[in-house]
Amino acid sequence: MPHISYDNKEIAFKLVYCGPGLSGKTTNLARLHTMLAEHVRSKMISLDTAEERTLFFDFCPIEIGTIEGYRVRFNMYTVPGQIYYEASRRLILDGADGVVFVADSQRDRIDDNIISFELMQENLRSYHIDVPDFPLVLQYNKRDCAEALPIGTLEAHLHLANIDVFEAVATEGVGVMETVRCVCRRMVNRFQID
Amino acid sequence: MMVATRRRNIVVNGDLNAVSLKEHLGALVKTSGALTALLITKEGHGIAEAGDTSYLNTTAMAALVAGMFSATREVARMVGEQQFSILLQQGETRHIHISLVTNSAMMIVIFEDYQRIGRVRHEAKKMGELVGQVLAKGTDKAKVSEELSVPEFKEYALNLIDRIFAMK
Repeated sequence: MPHISYDNKEIAFKLVYCGPGLSGKTTNLARLHTMLAEHVRSKMISLDTAEERTLFFDFCPIEIGTIEGYRVRFNMYTVPGQIYYEASRRLILDGADGVVFVADSQRDRIDDNIISFELMQENLRSYHIDVPDFPLVLQYNKRDCAEALPIGTLEAHLHLANIDVFEAVATEGVGVMETVRCVCRRMVNRFQID
Repeated sequence: MMVATRRRNIVVNGDLNAVSLKEHLGALVKTSGALTALLITKEGHGIAEAGDTSYLNTTAMAALVAGMFSATREVARMVGEQQFSILLQQGETRHIHISLVTNSAMMIVIFEDYQRIGRVRHEAKKMGELVGQVLAKGTDKAKVSEELSVPEFKEYALNLIDRIFAMK
């Protein structure tokens, strides 16, 4: 459930972008940041390596407005995709209210997508989150690559029924807004106080 | 910034616990001579703050410190400790004292005079116990749910989402 601060008058949802290394998680967040109006976004913070690979996380808070006296914020994170950063991914998923899984549409990345998704599921289960009831959106990124994976491939491999799916070319901003809008709506629809 | 309010649904100051938290942090700032005190959750959300925050992005600060504390907890476990309950970051002119006040909340104190570190540690420990007691009481959610209309909140929030994340 989102964090409600009565003192700070704030309701904050936590959204995490997951997916295999180099699938475009940071690019999604960076593009989103540049596409949003200045008054809703704060500075984006990236904890990355010298090669600009995400080391711990990227963070970008988005404040959508004030409702009934409460500022409503979506705190958006990415996790490092490389397989050996499993401990970091698990920490960042703690308290997540929603997840965007950014899959790489290149055919030779299918195994990486599947492994990454299964590890994410395990991490969510460790926090007592069941994927079927959770705001999770699947984004097929890099749709401009040659012979992209057909939509439905990952859903079939991972037995995902009724998952929201979006196609994206995050480097050009295509599909970025649609993805985040869908997952944010689903997070809000689950909102309750008790 | 877009604002949506309905007078009959406005929650005034939430509950008394939150006021006490802010007061406790304010007292800590005063007695320790610190610049700023923040209370955050281990997920990186702000709970309360006191002192000067004009120089600080408190949202980013909460996210970064929570990440740092989580990483340090894993390091502690590697060496056979459950967790390190205090972190201290010493800078040239500003320093940060971070302490765990409950299993799910931590207190950040930012101060300038490093010679006051003993004072900061002492006051933070004392105030941490009081803050922990307030947090342990929990919040009066039944009262809040009476005052905050969830269906209307959802309606407004969905509307804002559609406007903010509109396709360009």
